Amino acid sequence: MILAAFLVAEFILFSATGRNFLQADNLANIVRHSTEIGLLALVMMPVILTGGIDLSVGSLLGLCAVLFGKMVQDAGLSPLVAGGITLLIGGVGGGFNALLITRLRLPPLIVTLGTFSLFRGLAEAITKGTATYSKFPESFLAVGSATFLGLPTQAWVLVVIASAIWLLVHRTTFGRTWRSIGFSPEGARYAGLPVERRIALAYVMAGLVAALAAIILTARVTQARADAGTGYELLAITAVVLGGTSIFGGTGSVHGTLLGVAAIAVLNNGLSRIPSIMGVSRELSGVLTGALLIAALAGGVMMKFLSGRRARRQTSHIPNTSSNA
Amino acid sequence: MKRLLPILACAALALITGCGQSEPKQGTSPSNGTTPATKKLSIALLPKSKGNQYFVTVKKGADKAAAELGVELLFDGPTNTDPAKQNEIVENWITLGVDAIAAACENREGIATALKKAQAKGIKVLTYDSDTTPDARSFFVNQATAQGIGYTLMDTAAKLCGEEGEFAIITATLTAANMNEWRKNIEARLKEKYPKMKLVDTKPCDDQKDKAQQETANLLGAYPNLKCVMAICSPAVPGAAEAVKQAGKAGKVKVLGLGLPNENKAYVKSGVTQAVILWKVEDLGYLTLHAAAALARGDLKPGATSFKAGPLGELKIEGSDILLGQPFVFTKDNIDQFDF
Repeated sequence: MILAAFLVAEFILFSATGRNFLQADNLANIVRHSTEIGLLALVMMPVILTGGIDLSVGSLLGLCAVLFGKMVQDAGLSPLVAGGITLLIGGVGGGFNALLITRLRLPPLIVTLGTFSLFRGLAEAITKGTATYSKFPESFLAVGSATFLGLPTQAWVLVVIASAIWLLVHRTTFGRTWRSIGFSPEGARYAGLPVERRIALAYVMAGLVAALAAIILTARVTQARADAGTGYELLAITAVVLGGTSIFGGTGSVHGTLLGVAAIAVLNNGLSRIPSIMGVSRELSGVLTGALLIAALAGGVMMKFLSGRRARRQTSHIPNTSSNA
Repeated sequence: MKRLLPILACAALALITGCGQSEPKQGTSPSNGTTPATKKLSIALLPKSKGNQYFVTVKKGADKAAAELGVELLFDGPTNTDPAKQNEIVENWITLGVDAIAAACENREGIATALKKAQAKGIKVLTYDSDTTPDARSFFVNQATAQGIGYTLMDTAAKLCGEEGEFAIITATLTAANMNEWRKNIEARLKEKYPKMKLVDTKPCDDQKDKAQQETANLLGAYPNLKCVMAICSPAVPGAAEAVKQAGKAGKVKVLGLGLPNENKAYVKSGVTQAVILWKVEDLGYLTLHAAAALARGDLKPGATSFKAGPLGELKIEGSDILLGQPFVFTKDNIDQFDF
C-alpha cells in the first residue's frame, strides 16, 4: 500500500538525517508515545466504518484516568480492581453514547460533541480542576516503562487489541454489517441486519478501549489529571482517515488505520531529531500531518474522478446506480 | 487511490531534510553528532509551556549562556495542556543522547519518573523555576527564597513609606502555603527592623484582580492613614493599583507587589505603582544553563556550596538549591528594559 511506502520513506529519511533515530530505545519510545492514540484510532475505525464518529473518546479517557486515580489513591483499591471498574465505566460511557444514537436516533456528531464536554466536565468537577492523582504502587507504574519479551508492554496491548479488531472487522459478520451500515443504513435494515445493536457495539467498544488507554496513559505518565487525553479524539480520527477509511463510512481497513497511526507517530518523532528544525518540530509535524491528510483526501477524490467510478460513496442514501453528474 | 500522497510527502520531507543539511552548524562538530568524543555538549531546556513570555525570557538568557559556553541548546516544551507532553519530551531527549536536562516541572511527581530514567542513562538532571521530587535531580536552580522575597518586599515598602506608618497586605488566600511563608518573613523583618511601621490588615483576594481591587478600596476607606498597599500575589498588584488610582490617591498611597513587569508597566509608568518585585527571569535562564553545563562537565558536583556563573558572580548553594540571589525591584527607571 502507498501509506506503507510512505512509512518506509520516513524511516529511510529519518535514519539518515535524524539523530539516533534507529536506536532500539527510540523505536520503543515511538510505540510507547503512540499507544493511547493508536488504541483510540483502532476503535474509532469501526465507528467511522458505520458512518458515525466519536468525539468523546479523549474526554472519556480523561474521566476514566481521574476515576482510576481516585479509586487507587482515595479508596485504596488495588490497581487491578480499580482497572476493572474503570473499564466498566468506560463501557458505560460508550453505552451512553450508543443509547442516545440508536434509541433517540440523534446524529453521532452531536451526541458525542455533547458527551465530549460532559465527560471532560465531570473529570474537571471531580478534581475541581486542580487535584491530580500520583500515588500509585510502583508495580503498577512499572507497566508504563517495562518491556515484555523485548518489546514495550504497550506494544503487546496494541498487538492484542489490533488483532482482535482486525479479526472482528475483516473476518466476521460484524465487520461486514458495519460496512453495510456505513454504506447504506436503510439498506442494512431492509436486509434484516441488527443495525442498532451493531452500531451500539462499536460505541461501547470505543468506550471500553478509551478506559484501557486511560490506564495505560496513567501508568506511563505516572499521574492522572482531568486534562489527560485532550485532543486525542482528533488525532485518532486523523489516523483513521489517513489510513484510508472513508469518513462517510462503508470502506476502510484496520491495517490502514495502524499504518496511519505509525506514519504520524514516526513523523512526530523523526522531525524532532533533525538538528536544524528541532526547536519547531512539533509545530512543523502538525503542519505536515495536516498537509498529508488533505493531500491524501484530495488525491483520493481526484483518482476516483479520473477513473470514472465516482459517485459510489458520496450518495449513501441513493440506491447504488452510478450517476456521473 | 492515493498516488499523490507519497510524492507530496517525500517532496516535503526532502525539503526539510535538505534544509537541515544545507544550513551549516555554527559549531565545529558535525550536526549528526554520532561521535560522542568530539561532540560539543548538548543541553536540553524544558519550559512549562513554550509560548509563555516568562519562558521565552528564560530562553533568552539560556541562549546567551549557550553561545558563551559553546554548547548546543535544545529548547522544547508543551504547546498545550496535555500533561503527558513534558514526559514525552524528556523521554525523547534521553534517546537523543543529550548531556544534561534542565526542567521547569509542571507536575512535581508526574515528571519525576522520566527524569529518573534520564539519570539512570547517565544524563545530568537539574530543575529550575519549579522543582520536582529531590531524588529525581541533582540541583534545583531556585529563583528566590521565601526569605529573599519577604525581606525584599518589607525593605522596599519601608523605603517607600520613609520607614513609618500603616500598611496592609493583599494575599491570594489565607491558606496558601508559599504566601504564608512570605508573610512570616515580612512580619519577621518588620519586627526586626521597622518599629515605626504597623501592619494593620491582611486581606485575601482569591487570586483575582477584581477582588483585589475591591478589597483595596475597602482598606482605603477603613484606614484613612494607610500609607502603603503590599500585594503579594500577582493579580493583586494591578488590582490594588486600580483601586488606588480610582480613589484619587495615586502617589499618596504607595503600591508595591510581587508580579510580572509587563502586567504592571502602565501603573508603574503613571506613578500609581512604585515597585514591582520579581527575579530577573533572563538571569534565571542564564544561570540554569551555566549550572547544567558545569554539571555535565563534572565541574559542579553534589555537595558543592557555591557556584560561579560568569557575570552573575559567586552564587550560594543551600543544600541542593542553587540560589539566584535577592529578588530584583522593578521601578519606573528600569521597567522599560524588561519584557516579560
